[in-house]
Amino acid sequence: MILRIFRYDPATGTPRYDDFEIDPDPGMTVLAALFAVQEQYDDSLAFRYSCRGAVCGTCAVLVNKVPRLACRTQVQALLDGTDEMTLVPSPGSAETHPFDPAREILIEPLPHLPVIRDLVVDWDEFFEKYRALGPVFRPKDSPPENERLMEPGAVHALEAYTNCILCAACYGACPVDGKDPAYSGPAALAKLYRFHSDPREARDGSRLAAADSPEGWWACEFHTNCRRVCPKGVPPDIAIGKARQELQRGGRKPSGPGRP
Amino acid sequence: MPDPVVHTHDVCIIGGGLAGLRAALACSTAGLDTAVISKVHPLRSHSVAAQGGINAALGNAEGAEHDDWEAHAFDTVKGSDYLADQDAVARLCRDAPAAVIELEHMGTVFSRRDDGRIAQRPFGGAGVPRTCYAADRTGHNLLHTLYEQVTARGTRVYEEYFVTSLVRNGGRCTGCTAIAIPSGELHGFSAPAVLLATGGFGRIFSRSTNALINTGDGGALALRAGVPLKDMEFVQFHPTSLFGTNILITEGARGEGAILKNRGGERFMERYAPASVDLAPRDVVARAIETEISAGRGFPGGFVHLDLTHLGAEKIMERLPGIRQIAMDFAGVDPILEPVPVQPAQHYSMGGIDVDIDGSTRLPGLYAAGECACVSVHGANRLGGNSLLETVVFGRLVANTMIADLPSLPPPDGALVREAVRAEKSRIDAILARNGDERAPAILRDMKAAMFEHFGIFRDETTMREGLAAITALQERCRRASVGNKGTVFNQALHRLLELEGMLLLAEAVARGAMFRKESRGSHTRTDFPDRNDTEFLVHTLASLDDGKMAITQSPVTLGMFEPRERVY
Repeated sequence: MILRIFRYDPATGTPRYDDFEIDPDPGMTVLAALFAVQEQYDDSLAFRYSCRGAVCGTCAVLVNKVPRLACRTQVQALLDGTDEMTLVPSPGSAETHPFDPAREILIEPLPHLPVIRDLVVDWDEFFEKYRALGPVFRPKDSPPENERLMEPGAVHALEAYTNCILCAACYGACPVDGKDPAYSGPAALAKLYRFHSDPREARDGSRLAAADSPEGWWACEFHTNCRRVCPKGVPPDIAIGKARQELQRGGRKPSGPGRP
Repeated sequence: MPDPVVHTHDVCIIGGGLAGLRAALACSTAGLDTAVISKVHPLRSHSVAAQGGINAALGNAEGAEHDDWEAHAFDTVKGSDYLADQDAVARLCRDAPAAVIELEHMGTVFSRRDDGRIAQRPFGGAGVPRTCYAADRTGHNLLHTLYEQVTARGTRVYEEYFVTSLVRNGGRCTGCTAIAIPSGELHGFSAPAVLLATGGFGRIFSRSTNALINTGDGGALALRAGVPLKDMEFVQFHPTSLFGTNILITEGARGEGAILKNRGGERFMERYAPASVDLAPRDVVARAIETEISAGRGFPGGFVHLDLTHLGAEKIMERLPGIRQIAMDFAGVDPILEPVPVQPAQHYSMGGIDVDIDGSTRLPGLYAAGECACVSVHGANRLGGNSLLETVVFGRLVANTMIADLPSLPPPDGALVREAVRAEKSRIDAILARNGDERAPAILRDMKAAMFEHFGIFRDETTMREGLAAITALQERCRRASVGNKGTVFNQALHRLLELEGMLLLAEAVARGAMFRKESRGSHTRTDFPDRNDTEFLVHTLASLDDGKMAITQSPVTLGMFEPRERVY
């Protein structure tokens, strides 16, 4: 098996692709394969890692043109073609380097973010957009002595969005993020919707208003790449569609390119 | 070199997991100029992986209406095999309900009962259902909540800074040095109060549920700065890690009714813990599984089955969706349809940096909280659901201690920190200048194998003596180890070698503590001394470094509410 890996060293400034031959063990993940490259061939290869259990959101990279968590992606499934995914094309999915999916795995940094080194991207812009939407709980009333009560059903509805691990896979998959650097992006909007739909908040429309702009809810074109690549099953496109419908019910004229 | 960059703050918090963020929140709210320094983005901290829950005597569950903090404290002390300091346990358990309610008030979406109150599930070693949870993603939900709160206050977070040393001057800790990972530059941090909240050291063992980043950096920093490590021999092996990857399968699965079975399909826990069965504390269940496997009643490769199939799809999807996903992703097993292959793996470090009940170390200006610290509230064996609790309770308490101490800690002299940066730069340049075949990954692998083999669930003098010799030899190899990457930006080979130096120190502390303690207590099981010995060993051990040599001494345990008794489940 060949790992074809994007390389970039800011000291030299010229990107390139390196091939490394790895013997895949049964159960080997892309993350394990990257460690094998570091250990056997080149300890200067840089990539992020932490939990290795698909819960921390650190290791999202582009694998065969699809944003995935390296730790959760099985090498064998990629080679067998059982883990294929077709996305609506975005600037990040354009062909950069040819590869044969039956024996090669192409690994590149997450698109739409600047590269620091090799597979490591600068997350600042992604988190800046998240912070810009005020992602912190704002309860409608002063705290009671005990917990605020919640219907179990409301908890389940919120879990669809609280499950987001902010890995930025959706950000790298979104064609709109690829062409419009001002767009908040799927993760930030899904997070905003999580707060909007929390029954413990005032639900006065202020959360919807926070992204009622051409760079917010209205920029989405409903390609649904975000939902398909999310390793946690979070559906940002559904949150965005619902937010738009609620705004329209309140008299807002649709102004975006896509209609829910 | 040109004048190094030095950042000056009131408080530097090293580590951005739950303990660090809870402390940062309290310090920022009190108006202190607070910095969080973390080698990863805070949301990537290992707290995020905690699954099952957080204990508090809310009394929400049926049959638990009369639960109170004293009952929680009793379970915790008994679970600790009476080694926990009972004044600290009282503090932990008394503050627990307020700590959980506070997290709910900050927005955490806890799982609920039909009446809308926070749901509580049974956990190992607990007399009643006391563990609050957010499905099986409790750590994830708490960490995101606290990150949101800290971010909203504009607290300065130095993301991807790897701390390489503490600055010690005039008998005080006055800051630290750190590599800014994205640039490779060495920076200084000058602060009158420094908090270590760096998490556990599970990755010194080959089988561990821990994140790959859990290399125990804070413990090594403290040890080198002259602060002892306490009770390092007490390492928790979680009974149920997924066979193959050792990713955690929460105790909450057994809390919801899952059953452990050996190869014969027998519910073997009935023989080991007739009263608690599958919900005995972790040390008891881990020993039972290991015993079954060594007696040939496990499956080939060394695992047993955790059977959830009788719980039904609905309950599994609602209460345990995360571990179902993990089992499917990493073992190709759907727990709705078939049993999950599990084996014990290192999970938690009960021992850690020696702190008092307020989180102070014996070095003025240096504090510690969370898994890297040892107060001790967990003693010889931690109960499930008490680690998340410790992070938020002691994260807040240690912040209060620092806030109270700051007026008596004058601002340090920045020149001393600059001096420390220069010295550290020479040390690191010398490492980069080394050449040769000896590399960190091979030493790391050998250390992990040695620790699991010689200091695993069952220990004895002969095996441990061989293990210590192996660790000493690995330390020698590490002194010669070099890196191929001589660059600056994201030099992970260098960072991993620096982590390894510290891990080998911690491994030695575990080894020496385990050899000193000639008894069996909690997680520390010696086949050559199978009984607990309160006459000689109802004490904490302290490992300290003096002129490069490690020594073990002891310190008293604080008893109080509960007399030590035999531990039966």
